[in-house]
Amino acid sequence: MAKKPAKKANTKQFAGVLTAVALVGVAALGYVLTHRGPTVIIVDPKIPAGAAEGHLMGNPNAPVQVLEFGDFECPGCGNFATLTEPDIRSRLINTGVVGFRFYDFPLSQHKNTFTAHLAAACADDQQKFWEMHDRIYAGQDEWSDLVSPSMTDPLSIFKRYAKELGLDVSAWENCVTTQKYTAKIKGNQAEGVRRNVQNTPTLIIGNKQVNGVTYDQFKQLVDDALADIKKSAPDSARKPGAGRKGAAK
Amino acid sequence: MTIAVLSLVGVFLATYLTLYKLGYVEALACGTGSCEVVQASRWSRLWGQPVAIWGAGFYLAMFVLSLAGSLGRLAGSRLVGIGLALMSACGVLFSGWLTFVEIAWLHAICRYCVTSAGLTVALFVLSIVDLRKPAEAD
Repeated sequence: MAKKPAKKANTKQFAGVLTAVALVGVAALGYVLTHRGPTVIIVDPKIPAGAAEGHLMGNPNAPVQVLEFGDFECPGCGNFATLTEPDIRSRLINTGVVGFRFYDFPLSQHKNTFTAHLAAACADDQQKFWEMHDRIYAGQDEWSDLVSPSMTDPLSIFKRYAKELGLDVSAWENCVTTQKYTAKIKGNQAEGVRRNVQNTPTLIIGNKQVNGVTYDQFKQLVDDALADIKKSAPDSARKPGAGRKGAAK
Repeated sequence: MTIAVLSLVGVFLATYLTLYKLGYVEALACGTGSCEVVQASRWSRLWGQPVAIWGAGFYLAMFVLSLAGSLGRLAGSRLVGIGLALMSACGVLFSGWLTFVEIAWLHAICRYCVTSAGLTVALFVLSIVDLRKPAEAD
């Protein structure tokens, strides 16, 4: 007879615990989804460019210039390249709002990354840097030492990529094995060190330096940079028609 | 009842990993271990979908089944108990396989995956204990 009230109390207690777990869980997920803002470092945008050139995508005269310091073997860079970058390309680079430059920043702890950077730089000889860049990131799990520690010959995989992309494979292979672009890669890397890059991917958007962003955060930073440009432009340049006159010349 | 609570914890854990894998969470809160290495590996997908989604489905099914076995008409049902034991056994086997991959092939440990493996083992043990209990008389 006394069992029923005890059972009821048990059920109440059970419902209470479940509600508490559900509340904590929903709150935690809500927190990570809403508080995912990147750490922002303000940098001096007037730092003159070093000897490094990076690899350009889009308009070199676009109002907002973005620099990415990336490592081909870094999983975060892989996520950025495969998940976020496609939207950035279609919505901001192809529309002429952003000019995007990739700077090599191979991290010493990644065993196969330098070969990957050479593979991409050599594809640039045949105007296929970005195609190789995308293929290397998409295939990261088959050549990365982090994922496949037994992988000691990433070059054979990159060679397959070169074939897939229709490169002149023997010219490309000669470029990679002679390490033709080592100095250029190191130049890009030195530019990152000079700019105090410590992690990859690091993005410099206007006067802000961030690590790994989602598309929405990237777009917000681009909008901020555009607003800064508008603010700092002289009044005459903002008057309607002033820009058009110049363009008509 | 403990099975339902632990399953609910698992649902949130697996959902968090799924959100990361789908790009809604930019970085895993992972001070130690190598979560990103594990999450970037080829074993982080199964049949084209992130493993974490299958995990979320597994925990959700365990949660619903354990609720059914605790409340209402199916309360104390032996069939539900057997279902929970079988499902959690599959969970243990799959988690064991993933842990083996992490240790032997990836040389990287993800604390969330280890927690999930611990949860499935606990679910399995609890469901076996429940199954061995004599049925309660109303």
